[in-house]
Amino acid sequence: MNTKLGFVVLESGECFPGQWHGGPSKAGELVFNTSHSGYEEMATDPSYYSQILITTASQQGNYGEKDEDKESEQIWIHGFVCLELQNSKRDHAWREKLLQSQVPIVTEVDTRSLTLELREKGTTWGALVEAQNKSEAIELAKSLIAEEKRKDLDWAHRVSTKEVVSLQGENPQGPKVCVIDFGCKKNIIRELRSRCSEVILVPSRFEEQQVRDLDPQGILLSNGPGNPEDVQVAAESLRGLLGWRPVFGICMGHQILGRALGAKTFKLKYGHRGANHPIKDDLLSQIYMTSQNHGYAVEEQSLPKNVKVTHRNLNDGTVAGIEAQDQKAFSVQFHPESHPGPHDSVALFDYFVKQIQ
Amino acid sequence: MPIRKDIKKVVILGSGPIVIGQACEFDYSGTQACKSLMGLGLEVILVNSNPATIMTDPEVATRVYVEPLKVPYLDKILEKEKPDAIIPTLGGQTALNLALELFDQGVLKKHNVQLLGADPKVIRAGEDREIFRGLLDQIGAKYPRSEMVRTFEAGLEAGDQLGFPLILRPNYTLGGGGGGIAFSKEEFRIKLAQALHESPTSEVLVEESILGWKEFELEVMRDRAGTFVVICSIENFDPCGVHTGDSITVAPQQTLSDKEYQDMRDEARKIIEAVGVETGGANIQFAVHPETGERLVIEMNPRVSRSSALASKATGFPIAKIAAQLALGFTLDEIQNDITKTTPACFEPALDYVVTKIPRFAFEKFPGTQDILNTQMKSVGEAMGIGRTLKESFHKAILSLEGAAEGFREVKFDQSKLSYPNSQRIFYIIQAFRDGVSLEEIHSLTQIHPWFLEQLEQIVDMEKSISAWKKLEKEPLLKAKRHGFSDAAISKLTGIDEIAVRQERKSFGLTPGYFRVDTCAGEFASETPYFYSTYWTEPDPKGLQVKESDHGKPVIALIGSGPNRIGQGIEFDYSCVRSVREFQRQGYFVAMLNSNPETVSTDYDTSNALFFEPVTEESIANVLEFTKAQSFVAQLGGQTPINLAAPLVDQGFSLMGSTLEAIDRAEDRGQFSEICKELGVKMPQAGMASNISEALKLAQNLGYPIMCRPSYVLGGRHMEIVESDGELEHYFESHAATISEKRPCLMDQFLERALEVDVDLACGPDWAVVGGIIEHIEAAGVHSGDSMGVVPPQRLKEETALKIEAVSVQLAKKLGILGFLNLQLAIKDDEVYVLEANPRSSRSVPFIAKSTKVPLVDLGVRGMLGLKSSEVKPEQYDWKKVSGVSVKGVVFPFKKYPESDSILGPEMRSTGEAMGRGADYGEALLKAFVTSHMRLPQNGKVFLSLRDKDKDMLLPLVKELQALDFSLVATTGTAKYLEDSGISCDVVKKVHQGNPNCVDLIRSGEVALVINTTSGRESIEASFGIRRSCVDYSIPCLTESDAAEAFLLALKNQKTSQVSVSSL
Repeated sequence: MNTKLGFVVLESGECFPGQWHGGPSKAGELVFNTSHSGYEEMATDPSYYSQILITTASQQGNYGEKDEDKESEQIWIHGFVCLELQNSKRDHAWREKLLQSQVPIVTEVDTRSLTLELREKGTTWGALVEAQNKSEAIELAKSLIAEEKRKDLDWAHRVSTKEVVSLQGENPQGPKVCVIDFGCKKNIIRELRSRCSEVILVPSRFEEQQVRDLDPQGILLSNGPGNPEDVQVAAESLRGLLGWRPVFGICMGHQILGRALGAKTFKLKYGHRGANHPIKDDLLSQIYMTSQNHGYAVEEQSLPKNVKVTHRNLNDGTVAGIEAQDQKAFSVQFHPESHPGPHDSVALFDYFVKQIQ
Repeated sequence: MPIRKDIKKVVILGSGPIVIGQACEFDYSGTQACKSLMGLGLEVILVNSNPATIMTDPEVATRVYVEPLKVPYLDKILEKEKPDAIIPTLGGQTALNLALELFDQGVLKKHNVQLLGADPKVIRAGEDREIFRGLLDQIGAKYPRSEMVRTFEAGLEAGDQLGFPLILRPNYTLGGGGGGIAFSKEEFRIKLAQALHESPTSEVLVEESILGWKEFELEVMRDRAGTFVVICSIENFDPCGVHTGDSITVAPQQTLSDKEYQDMRDEARKIIEAVGVETGGANIQFAVHPETGERLVIEMNPRVSRSSALASKATGFPIAKIAAQLALGFTLDEIQNDITKTTPACFEPALDYVVTKIPRFAFEKFPGTQDILNTQMKSVGEAMGIGRTLKESFHKAILSLEGAAEGFREVKFDQSKLSYPNSQRIFYIIQAFRDGVSLEEIHSLTQIHPWFLEQLEQIVDMEKSISAWKKLEKEPLLKAKRHGFSDAAISKLTGIDEIAVRQERKSFGLTPGYFRVDTCAGEFASETPYFYSTYWTEPDPKGLQVKESDHGKPVIALIGSGPNRIGQGIEFDYSCVRSVREFQRQGYFVAMLNSNPETVSTDYDTSNALFFEPVTEESIANVLEFTKAQSFVAQLGGQTPINLAAPLVDQGFSLMGSTLEAIDRAEDRGQFSEICKELGVKMPQAGMASNISEALKLAQNLGYPIMCRPSYVLGGRHMEIVESDGELEHYFESHAATISEKRPCLMDQFLERALEVDVDLACGPDWAVVGGIIEHIEAAGVHSGDSMGVVPPQRLKEETALKIEAVSVQLAKKLGILGFLNLQLAIKDDEVYVLEANPRSSRSVPFIAKSTKVPLVDLGVRGMLGLKSSEVKPEQYDWKKVSGVSVKGVVFPFKKYPESDSILGPEMRSTGEAMGRGADYGEALLKAFVTSHMRLPQNGKVFLSLRDKDKDMLLPLVKELQALDFSLVATTGTAKYLEDSGISCDVVKKVHQGNPNCVDLIRSGEVALVINTTSGRESIEASFGIRRSCVDYSIPCLTESDAAEAFLLALKNQKTSQVSVSSL
């Protein structure tokens, strides 16, 4: 039985001890997620790039690892923290998968106290480290964090496809849609393919003309990791495309649309990460539960007059969706493709396709 | 959408007396709804016939009607109150069925009253399985293959087609009543006949078995704008085949992937939309195939339920309260989340802990009934444990059952106890692991998901390593505590004394921390004082604001009564909850500790701080230390807290009210009889015997009949009246396990035909108030919890009543009671005998308080606090000023225990009580019978089988029955007696005389009423079939002459009087 000591270290120097399961010590942004299920979807979601995922639900890995639960071909998180992790003779698949992917794991952590700490501090840098004691852990974490912070901040670019990928859709009558990939989840592609004749995935730094050359009927801006301010090229490219073809932005894509429309984005004190966030949707005239995973938001005051706030997060009133009707562009801060989380808002994909037709 | 302007006055229907499948969870939901609607400024009219509830406390609603939940009474209430609407979704199936009847009979239309929360179409869709399945087909949801049958023949045919095993589900019954699983054709024939009979519409669904599938439940809510949320997902530890009320359940669900879970959620949404649930809560049960993941819908309830109460406690989301507000027109986004105070109620709770619910059973009270669980619910209560991991929460739930302080007790391994689900299966599973049976084998025997079994295996692994400890060390001990092991368990495993374990643990700094149940897994700040303990955090969490230094008020800890059981149920929750308000008025901060998720006491709204913890010495001590409580209150939660008082005082905690010495004086038979002697108060002659030879000798002095009972029992466990040496020997043989030198058998002279009374008092240092005297309707010998009772007494002479009061007050003084005292007395030939003293609030307190309007609980609290007569002014409370008559009715669960005998005796077996209020005795009796689910016949055949000593006494009654147009039929002896007395009567054979006999006659449906009095073990056994057939066919069967007389009075009243109602 592995009984090595592991630590979750916050940039401020606070330390939460636990059991170390393996993998290299690593730094990243410490984020918690309150979903009860969906660990695999989260860990394979590129939006989690460079983040250390703390699940508030205390028991993880219970149902193993399944291909259908993957949201991309790799695990993007920089660490996994929970209270108890499934590790029996019968089933230890999820633990194995993380370790194979060089993702450090710390369990037996007082994750609730850690979550309360993160809630009060806001999302912060931190590290998972294997160490003999607290002071050693803090030392090691410091250097790892510094190193991670020096890396290129355009995280979307780092996780985005490097080349253009064309995928056949399942609906021959449907439109051809271009997806600007900031770290696109598989289920966005699945939802599009079921409605479209063709889906073309392009890199995050694609130029305006490159998109025009593909002649899509609609443009989807995908989810992705990091600070929207650090995403290069995309907002400028998009500005030229607005009004040319209908646009639908999701999460990072929403923030990029906001920026392209001239609005500002800011870092939320409390990031939204969970599968239970209520959204008031004025486009579809509904209130529903959504899956969310973001630390930044579009600032309401900075939105130009012609842009309507169509979606609101009922927990804190922040902007969760906008529409520029004359430019046929709309976007949402949450995940209508779910995975993990409720499927309640999937009709937004239909709305997008209707905008095109 | 804001509140509807057209609704100013609503009626809330309760669920009536506590029965299996419909218990105090509906008191919780109704009370919550009343509070919330009153808060919105509505007039709330509450109707419930159960006096033990908090909801029937006059302070809860604008007006409270303790009246039968039957159409004629509701008709009167509606006429009187002229409400705008009825909310029928908070009182269980009883309320829904009543609403449907009111609609069908045009009563709603007549009074221009609408239904809120569920309309007749929705109620039918939820209850009529054929309609429901039609809706499922429309949305493409799958369900087990089945056939609805209306005749026996159609049933047999369906059985042949579907193959065995088969599940039978009668329509419109609660708690799966009358249903079951049949493994063979023979079994099927028996169960089919019964099920057809049980269903009020004679419809039974015969269904393909899904034994072994995983079972889930979703608690959902919807508002009128169509917003849909899942409040809680619940996974059953026991796979399909065991009623969910009898299953161990866990929240949130643990073994579904997100995709599987979300697909289930989507389907739930479609279902409640298809059913047409406009607003409110509903629960939907699913079965999922363990390998293929195939999902089937089992059932849905368009109302709050037992599970929604559990879900509310598990998540902190008050489903009933929100449902009431939604019914009034609010939408989810307009209602604030009570817990966070910053976010709306429109969200799905996130849990960062695990909740385990374990049912509590009462098979031991129903000898002859096989302890096997199936689709018909049998449990009488439940306990819930909250922990950070399944192991921690499971252990807490087990400790909450009060089986043993060491948790998973040892049993002798028995494979059949794994294969056939039963009330003790969890202990056999643990034992199997201890004995080295492999997980795979246990899985193949039980079909329980291996994930759950692994958690149990880890508990046993921990147990093994604890057994190997030579001494206690900090790290391993912490690990053991995190696995949920109690100090007592560690002590037992290591052989180290429990006190030493506790002291060492504390010396290591190992005490639990407390976390808040906050609905959001810590995502938002929350102030709500709802806590659970865990060893997965530091012992000193910040900012919980529960100590006196935080808020300036002295803290007292109020100990609840744990899971409901027969003998200790909702009545004690009433006392606890009612006392909170009085303690608060007196300036205290009340910390409530309890483990029962069904109750009002475990509503975070009830006390100043709620600790959801096992009611054990260790948990209480931890809470007392954590809150720095000034003292603890043990008088309100029944016998459980009283039993824990001594060890807690030994630990140095301060007990409020009557001292330990006073408690002992009342409970210790020796001391108590000394006191009685000193005061010149009579007691039945008594003695103790620890073996049969001593007993036989003692019997000679006492003379038969003798009441035998073991020491220290609750609810009359193992109590029996013996009439001969032979029966005494039999008693000692069959109770050998509970009788020993240390725990001798108590043998009392039995006062045959004595009148019994209950007296409840509240006492202060220089005052005592008698809350009232309940006169039992059945003669001595029937447990006070099982006998009907009446206030004010009808047969007691006035001077005897005064004598009883005087004796009671004298005793209270002499015992040194501060707080509550309950006395049971017997009156024979105008002599008063004291049978028993309980130095605590009792089962009869709520009934007395509601009958006499003396605020007994408030007074008890003032007494405990030591308030003087000059402050309390006790002279203003006079129970004798009461106008009208109140009768306590009782309900029994015999139907759910197919082999049990319904004869009443000294062991309590009723699950609940009802109250009939009338201008006179006859009216009150009628209402009490009606509301206790007795069918009062208008005419028909009365079957009589009377023991000799009752014959003369019952002769006038028999004559009156004849005058009321009933025809008579009797067994040979009784018939001959009647003929000799000039009464014509048919004769029918006794069972041993061959067919057709009296039981055949009853089962043929020709008999409307049975009076069967009997005594002595042999005659009781011989007449079992008579009583059992009455239970099976819902025919009133009276086993006591006094009860028969009361029943006759009610029958006469039914024929002559008008229906009338009045509020409390």
